[in-house]
Formats: sequence, structure tokens, C-alpha cells
Amino acid sequence: MDDPTSMTDSPITTVAPGWAIVALGILGALAVTAAVLDGALAARARGGPGGKMGGPVRPFGEAARLMRQRRRTTVEADRLLWRIGGAGLLVTAALMVTVVPLGEWTIFDLDVGVMWFNAMDVMVWALVWLTGWGANSAHSLVGGYRFLAHGLGYELPLMFALVAPAIAAETLNVGAVAAAQEGLWFAVWMPVAFLVYLLGVAAFSVWGPFAPAIGTDVSGGARAELSGVDRLVFEAGRYALLAAGAAFAVPMFLGGGAGPLLPGWAWVLVKTVALLAVLVWLRRRLPAFRPDKFMEVGWMLLLPAVLLQDLVVAVIAVWRS
Amino acid sequence: MAGGGTALGLSDAIARSASRHAHALVVEVPGSWRTRVAAERNVAARGWRLAISPADADVLVVCGEPGPGLAEAIEGIWHQMPGPRVRVHVHAGDEVGARLDEAHTGLLDTDRHRRDAQQRPTASELLAEQAGSRAESHGGHGDTDHGSAGGHEGMDHEGHDSHEGMEHGSHEGMEHGSHEGMDHGSHEGMDHGSHEGMDHGSHEGMDHGGHEGMDHGGHEMSPGGIPLAEGGEDRDGLEMDVLQVRLGPVLRDWPAGLVLHCSLQGDVIVEAQAELVDGRARQDDDVVGPARGIDNIASLLALAGWDDAAAEARRIRDTALESGEGAAGSELERLRRRVRRSWTLRWSLRGVRRLSDKEAHARRLPADAVGDTYDRLMGMLDRAVAGVAATAAGDTGTRANDAGRTLSTDHLAHLVMGLDLATARLVLASLDIHEVLAGQAEHEVSHG
Repeated sequence: MDDPTSMTDSPITTVAPGWAIVALGILGALAVTAAVLDGALAARARGGPGGKMGGPVRPFGEAARLMRQRRRTTVEADRLLWRIGGAGLLVTAALMVTVVPLGEWTIFDLDVGVMWFNAMDVMVWALVWLTGWGANSAHSLVGGYRFLAHGLGYELPLMFALVAPAIAAETLNVGAVAAAQEGLWFAVWMPVAFLVYLLGVAAFSVWGPFAPAIGTDVSGGARAELSGVDRLVFEAGRYALLAAGAAFAVPMFLGGGAGPLLPGWAWVLVKTVALLAVLVWLRRRLPAFRPDKFMEVGWMLLLPAVLLQDLVVAVIAVWRS
Repeated sequence: MAGGGTALGLSDAIARSASRHAHALVVEVPGSWRTRVAAERNVAARGWRLAISPADADVLVVCGEPGPGLAEAIEGIWHQMPGPRVRVHVHAGDEVGARLDEAHTGLLDTDRHRRDAQQRPTASELLAEQAGSRAESHGGHGDTDHGSAGGHEGMDHEGHDSHEGMEHGSHEGMEHGSHEGMDHGSHEGMDHGSHEGMDHGSHEGMDHGGHEGMDHGGHEMSPGGIPLAEGGEDRDGLEMDVLQVRLGPVLRDWPAGLVLHCSLQGDVIVEAQAELVDGRARQDDDVVGPARGIDNIASLLALAGWDDAAAEARRIRDTALESGEGAAGSELERLRRRVRRSWTLRWSLRGVRRLSDKEAHARRLPADAVGDTYDRLMGMLDRAVAGVAATAAGDTGTRANDAGRTLSTDHLAHLVMGLDLATARLVLASLDIHEVLAGQAEHEVSHG
């Protein structure tokens, strides 16, 4: 118990690697759910005659469009790095969900699962930057800069937000963190960490208020030069990251599979979809956070707030033991 | 029309679905505001989207009659579109529907796109051609028409069939977007993110020398024909690369015909020079009333990254144009409330490029440009609400006010220097400019 790296009483069963296919399928289904929901909300917002046509089928139509579209490259593009960046988001999201327990099953029951997730979300920095940089185009490059500027603002608060549940559960094992929330979800008594975490998820998915890196004002920023399957994979990666972030919040803050009537895995999915819906909806409500302005918020407001949260959690954890 | 022998049911279905969800890049020639708005409305009505960059576009919609400079920029855009691609030329607002129907049909014609993919020139061919034409017309070539990439006369939507004879590599499976052989990228001074070296002259006024040599010099200094960035001190006194970037004339939510030559350090505009493409602006023949202001509100909201509110503003704009101002009144009031309530928007726009009375006067800006960008947005909303109410009541007096909403290119550059790209664009949009005027300095450059 004292040494969190040698957990032997993990409540989680590790499944055979072959089940990773199923995990990928679930992640894909969640990403599609997010895209469909976003399409429906967008159609409602634009209303009018075009509204009906868009809506929930929009993502499928977009996918068909991008499948049919040709790929392109730019003059003197750093093609290898560019493609790595574009495709990497999807891979990162897949790696994130490997440590998220679906009820009692998980693919990797890592003792440092929380760190694993954190490492993956930091990888997004490199990937978005490479996508922006590789195209050898100014707008793309500016998109990359903007993402890094946002990263400086959101990453540390996000890390410290992940620290709070780990302190309270005295472990970095994701399944054990979920199990430690018996009776009271972490989201309830560490709301600041929870909210900052959700902001972080939106940020590493380049989503909603954190979308200036791919903004209209720079012709699509990091993705300005992407077309065809390259763009499809990039966009799918964003939705998958959003889904993976929502899924990871469930064991960390929302009690994992705990809940009445339904089995654990079903509760995990229900909670994930609910969070995902909130994140998707957020985009409709908020304008972009300008990276330079957000940096100030990240360091002056979010970081102190989440550190204070960690302190409170630590004091309570010490007092309880 | 349906694909040839290889066409499977699936690829047909994909083609149909793809064509129903096309993205259109709408180009507004100065003076064709009404046509552009009609095109945007039609694009939305058929469930299409507005493209944000050439790479994102399937359909190029040119609204109005472009002059030589703009035509050349449009040609550059066309070469960057990935394909399947179609372009249409809309001369007047009332033919938008027919032209976009043609575009839709064109998108479905898979065989044609396969041919297009084979025949389109490669980036290196385009660059070579450009280098050639630049050597001929050194400096402000203004009117020299060097017909880039062969006869696209008239910008006809069939024009791209005329690349016959340029052969190219593998084109198998273009349906599935699987080949990169025929790429063509951000060469040519297109609106987005190109490097100034590829641009067609006319920046003698800039003190970053050395482009000249690069334009004509060996390729060792300019990989792929694009000159390398030069170093320069940034605002913190550190050495940082300076990129020469041209914004416009084809750019979303951007004044029609405006070209801004910027020196960028990171994303900060350290130097800028504005120019009106083809050196002219044409006033709209018909008075459009408050819809024009609402359109500018939509642009500002879009640039602020608030897609929903921007979509709402566009809808209101269309209502105001279509069914008269009275119908738009209550919706506009609701939009104003929604925008006012957003504290994130206020936080984002507050303090951005605050203009004093004196400065606004010196730059010949309307008196309502005083204040910061947030103030100006609120002013735009207030004016729109008042304008809609006034026109609904049959009072045309407010329209006289619109006539003064111009900005000379001489003043424009000073307003954005020292800002980053995002805020520069917000500031420009917030000025609620209806017409950009060619300044004195520019006349010398482009016609000198």
C-alpha cells in the first residue's frame, strides 16, 4: 500500500491484447458520436433552409468528401514530419484509452497509468506543431505557434489537475483511482481540478475556445494545407482525442463504473458520452480564447487555483489516513 | 455522367455524398458584395460549407469581373485546390443558383476530374513558368498578362480543361485520394501564407532588401523557389526570422480586393504595406442598407472564433436582404443581447487597438471607430439595430452614413503594424469598412 508502484490488489482485470481492437472500435464509435452531435448542433445554430441538410449526417458526408478528395503537398514540405503530425493525433488518442478501464477490464493495467495519459497529452504538442511546421506555409506555421502558446497556458494546470485524484487515491493506477472514489466522486469534492481537466481536454483536442491554432482567421492554421485523407485523419484525431479525454475523466473524477442497475462498463460509456456532449456543446457557446490572453489566465488564475486544490486534497488525504 | 467502366456502386455513392457536402471558396471582386452574399446564402442553403483555404475547397466561386491582378491570384488559388475541383463564375446575384447547380453537376463528373488530375501542371512547372514571367516583367508588372498555366480566358468554369498535353504521373484511384504525385502547393503569392518572394513585385517601399536577388538568383538560396526567411530583431530585441507574407486578396472575412504585404516575425506584423488589387475599387451600384454592416459583424464574430454567432449574423443579414429589414429586427436584437452577454468575447476584444479621437481623425476613420475593438463591435451592433429600425420605418437618412465608411490603404497598414495576425484581422474587421480606397502612395507603386 505504501508503495504505489507495486500495487497487487488492483481491482482491474487486464484483458488479452486482442481486445485492443474492441477498444479502438469503442473509441471510434465515441468519436463518431461527438462528430454527429457537433453536426446536429451546428445545423441547429445555422438554422434556415441549410439546417435540415446538414445535421447528423454531416460528418459522414464530410468523410465521403475527404475520401474522394486528392491529397496534396506543398513546395518543399517536410513531408515525413508533416504526415507524422497529422496522423499522430489518432494514434495518441488510441494510446490514451489503453489505460482507461471499461468497468473491470483494461488493456494496460499500468501502475503509472495517470502519468501515461499525461505523457500522451504532451505528445499532442509535438504533433500539432509538426502539422503546422511541416507544410512550409506561413499560416500553417502560425497555427503551430498558436498551439504552443496555448500549450504553455493549459499544460501545467492540466498536470496539476491530474495530480489531485492521484493524491487522494494514493496511487497512479487508473483503476485504483476509480475504486478509491467509493461513495463520493472526486468531481464533487475537487471541482476545480475537474473543471481545469475538462479545459485541458478541450485544449489538447484543439477544440472550441482552443481552436485558434486551426482558426478561420489563419485559413485553417495548422491544417490549412491538409486535404483528402490527411485532413480526414487529422479531424478524426481531434474527435478521438476529445473522446479519449472524456473517457479518462470517468475513472479519474466520476467514479469509474460505479452506478446503480447498469453494469460497470455501461456506466463508463454513459458517463463518457455525457461528458463528451458537454465538451461538444462548449464549442457552440464560446468564442476563441486568444492564445496570448489565455496564457495570462493559465498562469495567473488556473495554475494557482489548481495548486490550491491540490493542497486542500493533500491536507484532507493526510488527515484521513 | 456516372463514372466509367470501373465505377462501383460504392464510389458512386461516395461521389454523390461528397458533392452534397462540398466546400466552396467564394471570391468577391471589389464591387460585387451583393453577388458574394447571394453566393454565400446559396452555399448554405444547399448544405455546403464555405471553405477556409484553397486546400479545403472543392468549388471556386468567383463573384464579379476580376481585373488582371485578381485574376492572377484566383489562378493561384485554383492551382492549389486539391481536386475534384470545379470553378464557376457568377456575374450577377440572380444567376447564383444556376451556376452552383452546374458546379454540383461538375463535381459528380468523376471522369472529368480524373482527366483534370492527369493534366494539371505540377508545382515545379508552375514555378518555372512564374520565374520566367517574372524575369520579363521586373517590378510592377501590373498589366502584363502572362497567362499563367495556359489559357484560362474568361475564368470560365470549363477553363481548366485546357491543360491538354501536360502529362503527368500516376492518377489511378483519385477517387480515393491516394496519390500525391501531382502536387502543387503554396507557391505563387496566393492569399494565404505564401512567401513574398513568390509574389509579383511591387514592394519597392519595403526595406527588407534582397528579394530581388533571390527572385532571379540561383535556387540554392531559395529551395523550391521560395526564398528563405531572413533574420531580424523582434520586439523583445531577439533575433527572429522575418517571413514575407501576403494576405489577400482571396481570403475569408477580409475586405474585397485588399492585399496586405506583411513582414511577420512569429505571428507579429512588424511591417505592412496595403495595396488594392488592380488599384481600383468599384462602389456598389445599389445601396444595400444595414445588411452590409451586419455582414461585417458576421466577419468579426467569425474571426473571433465564434462560429455559431457568426452563422446567426449571416442568417440575419440574409433575412434583411431578402424579406426586408423589418423581419430582421427582432433577431438582430437577440444577437446583440447574446453578444453583449458573452464575457469571454469582451475579455478577448477589450483593449485591442484602442483608437483615440485624434488618431481616428488622422486616419480618416468614421467617428465611431474611437475606442477599442469591443467598443467598435458594440457600435456596429447598435448601428445595425438602429439602421434596421430606421429603414423599416422608411427613413433612408442613415444610408448617407454608410457612404463615409471607407479606409484608404495609406492608413490601413499603420493600424495593424505591431499587432499579431489574429488581432490585426479583428481590428480591420471591427472598423466596419464598406470600401477600401486606393491611397496616394499606392498609386505610385502599382502604376509607376
